[in-house]
Amino acid sequence: MDNLQISNQPIMWVLCGITVLVAAIQTVLFIRLAKKTSKEVELNPEIPNKAFKIGLISAIGPAAGVFIVMVGLMAAIGGPMSWMRLSIIGAAATELAAATNGATAAGVTFGGEGYTLTILAVSWFAMALNGAGWLICTGLFTPSLEKLRDKMSGGDMGWLGAMSAACSIGIFGYLNANSMVAKGPSINIPTTAAVLAAALSMMFIGKVITPKHPRLAEYSLGIAMIIGIIAGIVVEGITA
Amino acid sequence: MNYMDLWKKACIKIGTPTNLIAAFTAFIPVLYLCIHYNCWPDVSLILSAWGLTLVAFGAFYIVEPVSYYAALGMSGTYLSFLSGNIGNMRVPCASLALDVTDSESGTLQAEIVSTMAICGSIVTNLIATTLAAFVGSAIVAILPLVIKTGLQSYASAAIFGATFGNFSLKQPKLAIFGIGIPVICKILTSYIGIPAWLIIVLSVFGTVGIARIFYTKAKKAAA
Repeated sequence: MDNLQISNQPIMWVLCGITVLVAAIQTVLFIRLAKKTSKEVELNPEIPNKAFKIGLISAIGPAAGVFIVMVGLMAAIGGPMSWMRLSIIGAAATELAAATNGATAAGVTFGGEGYTLTILAVSWFAMALNGAGWLICTGLFTPSLEKLRDKMSGGDMGWLGAMSAACSIGIFGYLNANSMVAKGPSINIPTTAAVLAAALSMMFIGKVITPKHPRLAEYSLGIAMIIGIIAGIVVEGITA
Repeated sequence: MNYMDLWKKACIKIGTPTNLIAAFTAFIPVLYLCIHYNCWPDVSLILSAWGLTLVAFGAFYIVEPVSYYAALGMSGTYLSFLSGNIGNMRVPCASLALDVTDSESGTLQAEIVSTMAICGSIVTNLIATTLAAFVGSAIVAILPLVIKTGLQSYASAAIFGATFGNFSLKQPKLAIFGIGIPVICKILTSYIGIPAWLIIVLSVFGTVGIARIFYTKAKKAAA
C-alpha cells in the first residue's frame, strides 16, 4: 500500500470523524444555549431563527469554494485528513504548508521519493500541532480577550461599537490588500476586479436596493460574491 | 448576576472543553498511524517540522483571536476558532445577521444573533466538506472549468471585498484608512519585508487608532 492508500483507509474516516463530531457537538450546544437564552430574555424567536438562516444561506458561496479546494487537497493528503482539517481551523494552504514542512524537516520532497510512512507521520504531526495552536490559545484565553475588550472600550458602549467596527474594517482591509497587492510589488488585476466589483455591489445593494426590498438583505452577500467572481473571470479573460 | 454574565459563563463552559478536546482528538489519526504501522518518527524531526510551521503561523495563534474578538464575541470566538473559515464565512455571516436584525454590538441580542448566524454557517460548511469527502471528485470532474477556476481563484477575494463594502457603507472615511494602511504595508513588504502578522496588527490597531480620533472628535462636536 502506498501512503495515499493508507491515508484513505476506512478506519481513517472514523478516526478523523471524531474531531468533526466534536465541532458538530459544539455547534449544537451553542444553538441550544442561544435558543434557551432567547427564551429567558423574551427575545422574539424570529430573530435567532432569522440569524441562523442568514448564516446557513450566506455560507453557501464560500462553502462552495471550500468544496473545490478540498477536492484538490484530497489528492495530496487523502480524503479523511482533508475532511478533518477543513472542517476545523486551518485552510488548504495552511495544511499543505504544515504537511510540506514535515517533508522539508526530513530533507525529502512532499509526496516524492523518500517520503516514507514515517515522514507521512511527521507531516500529520505538524498539521495537528499547528491546528492545536489556535485551539489551545482560544480554549484557554478567550475569557482574557473579553477582559481586554472591556478594558479597551473602558465601559463606553458607543466606543465599543465603533471599536468593533474598526477592528473588522482593519482586518478585512488586510485580507483585501492580500488579494490585490502581489510581491514585486504589483497589482493582481483580476482579483482586484473581483474585490472592487463585490465591494461596490454590496454597497449598491445596501444603499439602493434593500431600503426598498428589505428581504433581499439576507441574500446580499451571496449576490455580491457572485458578481465579484464573474468580474474576476471576465477581467482575467480580457487581460490574459 | 445579570443575563449577560450568565451567558458568558455558559459560553466558557461549552467553549473551553470543546476547543481543548478538539486540539487532542486531532492527534488520534496520526497516533493510530504510528501505532498500527510502527512508524514513529524521531521526536527531533517532529519538533523541527513544528518549528518551521511555528515560524510561519505561530504569531497568528495570538494575533487572530485578538483581532477577530471584537467582531466575533465570546461564543463566536470559540465556534470560529474550532470550525475555522473565519474571514471567509464566520465574520461575514455574523455581521450581515447583525445588520439585518438591527442588533447593537455589545448587547445580548447581538451575542445571540451572531452565535446563531455562525452556527448556521458551520452547518453549511460541515455539509460542504462532508459532501466533498464523499462525492467531491465526481462533482468536480463534471463541473465546467470556468466555474472551478472562478470559485478557486476569486471566491475568497469576492467575499472579502463584499464584507469590506458592507462595513465601508457605515464608515466610509474609516474604510479609506482601513484599506490604505495594509495596502501601503503590502507594497513596502516587497522592499523591507514586513511579516504578515505585523501587517495585521498594524492594520487592525492603526484603524482602531484612527477610529478613536474620529470618535473623540465627534463626541467633542456633540458636546
